[in-house]
Parts: sequence; C-alpha cells; structure tokens
Amino acid sequence: MRELAPYLAAGVAYIALGVAFPSLLLSWVEGVAFLLVAVWLLPALVRRLR
Amino acid sequence: MSWAAHDLEPYAFQRHLGGKVAIVPLLIGSYSPDLFSKWFVYGIEVFGVELQADDPTQFHRGWPGVGFTHSLAFGIVVAALLLLLTRSRIWAFSFLLGHWAHALTDVGDTIGTMLLFPFSTETIGVGAWAYAGHVGRLTDAGAYFSGLGFVWDGVWILYGLVSWRILTRAYFRETIVPADPFWGWAGQRLPEAALLALYRASFFYGTTRWVAWVIWAHVVNDFPIDLSWGGPDWVDAAYD
Repeated sequence: MRELAPYLAAGVAYIALGVAFPSLLLSWVEGVAFLLVAVWLLPALVRRLR
Repeated sequence: MSWAAHDLEPYAFQRHLGGKVAIVPLLIGSYSPDLFSKWFVYGIEVFGVELQADDPTQFHRGWPGVGFTHSLAFGIVVAALLLLLTRSRIWAFSFLLGHWAHALTDVGDTIGTMLLFPFSTETIGVGAWAYAGHVGRLTDAGAYFSGLGFVWDGVWILYGLVSWRILTRAYFRETIVPADPFWGWAGQRLPEAALLALYRASFFYGTTRWVAWVIWAHVVNDFPIDLSWGGPDWVDAAYD
C-alpha cells in the first residue's frame, strides 16, 4: 500500500490536470515525466530535505 | 486508431509470456506504427505555419502515404533489422509482437489497416468504431470516447488491473530485469524507484488518460455516447 499510494496520488493529479488541460493528455513524454517527478524525484527531494 | 490500447496491450502479453518477452521493445513496437506520422495526421503549427497532410486519412493508413507502417510485413522488416543490429532475439520478437498488436487493434476502426501490404493496398477493417483523425484531435477524442473504441480500451484496463501482480516490485525484479539487459544498464544510472516508474509508466499513462478523456468527454463536455457498431454516428467518420 505504501508503494501504491504515490501512484494513486499521481494518477488523481494527472487526471484532474488532464481534464482541465486536455493537451497534457496527448503527450506520452509529458505523462511519463509527470509520473517520474511524482513517484521518484519529489519523494527523493522530500527525503533529502528532512 | 486507439487511444489507450497501444499503451496497455504490451502488459497483457507480459502477463502471459513472462520472461520470453522484454517490455521495452514490446512498448516500442506497440507505439511504432504511429511514432513518426501522427503529428502530421492531426497537424501542428511551426512558427505560424500549419503543417498537416492534405488527406490525413490517406496519409495515415493508405498508399501513397505511410499506411505501410501498419502492415504485418513492416513489423517483420523492422524486427529483422533489430535482430541484425542488436543480435537480441527477445528484442526482435517483442518488437514484432507489439507492432502486430497495434496493426491488428487498428483493424477495429472504420478505415482499418493495410495488413497485407505490399501484396495488397486494400485496408482491412471491421468498422467497430469511427475513425475520425481528420476532424482534429479533440473532436476525435470526443468521438472515440463515445463509441466502442473506449470500451475496447476499457477491456485492457480491466485486464491489466486483474493482472496487477505483473506491476509489483517482486515481478519486476524476478521477471522483467532478468529478461532484458537494458534494465541492468539503466540500473547503473538510476535507482530502482525510477526504473519501476519507467516500467509502470505506459500502464499509468494509458489508464489515467482513459479516465481523464471519459470525464472530459462526458462531464466537462456533452458528447453523446453511441455504442452502435461504427459509431458514434454524430461524427463525420472516414470509411474505407
């Protein structure tokens, strides 16, 4: 569950942003970059700042 | 054309074939028929100049055009080149599988694909959902997510969710990594959290954009749902 949570949060955020700005949904590169930021880079940054 | 199936089908193959396939070439193969042509179908603006095919449907699926990228033979040729270049049978086989899945999935729309090119330039299609690439991206999205196309994509999402074990860290370590040296190479440069995200990325992308497009089409907008064969009827679909 601990591993699933960031993916679920990223999914909800991506869906909300995509509905508001549909052009975001058209780019695979942007979708993958969004996921990498949400589940890897951001948590890594938070851990470093703690 | 399909909007999410090409992201999701490789994971279904992965579930059934395990270590006999590699997910990276599977995904590349699944995306390959549209990789260099889709932008010219929908059109883009570069420095104020609109670039789009005169006949987007003919360009995308026909001949003359780049419809040959959706033929079974094209998959074989590229897979053979991959085998020559990489000496990797698993890469060649996985690419071919992904490519054929794309070519056969697109048989579902009202145009179909030139599956038998170069022996025939006739497109083969079952016409289950409207091909509307020529009417612009957003109308195409509204149409696709109002007809049987989005049901087809939904089947792959459900199948992926039922097969959730292939998305776990344990499966990644035990099956995905040993099958393809790419992951060992990438693992020297990135931590496992990043590799896992990359492995899961297309499933994430296909699933979330499917949900977002459905909400966009039917909550934000009011595109009428029409699950009849070849629908939705309200869009100016292209036919073979």
